[in-house]
Amino acid sequence: METAMERTQQALQEDDEEQQEIWSWGAGTDGQLATGRLQDEHSPQLLCSLSALGPINFLSCGGAHVIALSPGGRVLTWGRGTSGQLGHGEMVNSLQPKAVKALESFTITHVSAGWNHSGFVSGSGAIYTCGDGSFGQLGHGEFKSLCSPVEVSFFSSKHVEQVACGMRHSLVLLRGNKDNQVYGFGFGKRGQLGISTEKVKSTSLPQITMGLTNVRIVNISANGDHSAALSADGSLYTWGRGFGCASDACIPHHVDVALSLKEVALGWNHALLLTSEGEVFMLGGHRHGALSGPQKTSLTADASGKLKEGIVRISADHSETKVVQIAAGAEHSALVTDNGSSSVMTWGWGEHGQLGLGDTNDQAIPQVVSLAHISAEKHPISRVYCGSGFSFVLRTYDSDSQMREGT
Amino acid sequence: MSYDDVEIEDMEWNEELQAFTYPCPCGDLFQITKEDLRIGEEIARCPSCSLYITVIYNMEDFQDTSNRKTEPAKPQPVAVA
Ligand SMILES: [Zn+2]
Repeated sequence: METAMERTQQALQEDDEEQQEIWSWGAGTDGQLATGRLQDEHSPQLLCSLSALGPINFLSCGGAHVIALSPGGRVLTWGRGTSGQLGHGEMVNSLQPKAVKALESFTITHVSAGWNHSGFVSGSGAIYTCGDGSFGQLGHGEFKSLCSPVEVSFFSSKHVEQVACGMRHSLVLLRGNKDNQVYGFGFGKRGQLGISTEKVKSTSLPQITMGLTNVRIVNISANGDHSAALSADGSLYTWGRGFGCASDACIPHHVDVALSLKEVALGWNHALLLTSEGEVFMLGGHRHGALSGPQKTSLTADASGKLKEGIVRISADHSETKVVQIAAGAEHSALVTDNGSSSVMTWGWGEHGQLGLGDTNDQAIPQVVSLAHISAEKHPISRVYCGSGFSFVLRTYDSDSQMREGT
Repeated sequence: MSYDDVEIEDMEWNEELQAFTYPCPCGDLFQITKEDLRIGEEIARCPSCSLYITVIYNMEDFQDTSNRKTEPAKPQPVAVA
């Protein structure tokens, strides 16, 4: 089956005329913003040097590092590298994007940045990991950190499709299987590996995630001590640390939201859910948008209504605007709407400027981030990505837009 | 309000910082020293933001200030500066 990423790759390869802008903001003291400076930015910064390295069609943002994937399957990393998570063969930060040389002979199709570790999946189904391995999150059967990506030999006879890296754990999704398709390794004390009905402190070798039999999983996510999977029919399964007041779950359980879901984005204490109708819901996050000051309004007071216990609907704005994409940092959130300008909106914790609204305030409801347009005639398509305390936007200008607008 | 409650065994000993650490959502680390723990301090702060966590531990484990090992099970790999 053709994935969304493959379609994007094709589209980008077919159109050399396309222009791309890359923006970043938020916490920047480890070089994760790729601005060349070690400082926070409260407003979106346009990154000309990164754009000059060629088109990028996917980003994954971790604790303080970023992994970028080019249409041709090339990998660039930057930001905090003190655990080896950049894969450059050394344990130092990098203020500028640098190619991961150890992966140059492979076509990488999927990447994930965790708190201090990284995972890379090749088109041939192999998975490589590097960075902090203290909790077994690299999957090599040991607790060592690695500064260059090394293939996880456990999966050498299997076809890996996706990797998801959390704070101290990793998940892997295999292609094709209906059973035994999700694996977990690393720290498991909150149940985030889903490998046993009893709590497992950690495992450095991948083990099968239970409770997902007879479900075709198409997407996996990990952040903080949370894990989640989406099935082909739009059902959500979560395991690990409980959201809000819910208790931890040692094996995946179905979250009954009575809606077909398209995307899930995990924070450290909340999950965003995007329905196929373009609506956004939030699970947990009772302090989302009220972390810096207890006196500020809590989200539940502003949200238009509660569905089930602990799930609130997020309104993009007052009209019936549809949401096309979501992203979650540790304690902030972002979405992209499908209005003509493909607006990016943010809310949640803002102390490091991670909302990109020009200040350090928290926001209980989504606010529009102002990103300048390079061309009024061209139609932008935005994608937003969040790391722990920072955010990135890839904005691509579709050269067919004038035609499209004329119809 | 405390951001989270974290058991000392889930924190990592950081040789460079000479402190027990735990990831902060801002990207930096919550930190608490052995001396803090010895005197009964239970708040670990992040040097980069206003958040803090409550550390859960037995004060008795840190009373003996001689060279007794109090590091958690997993040693933190030393980062090359
Ligand atoms: Zn912090």
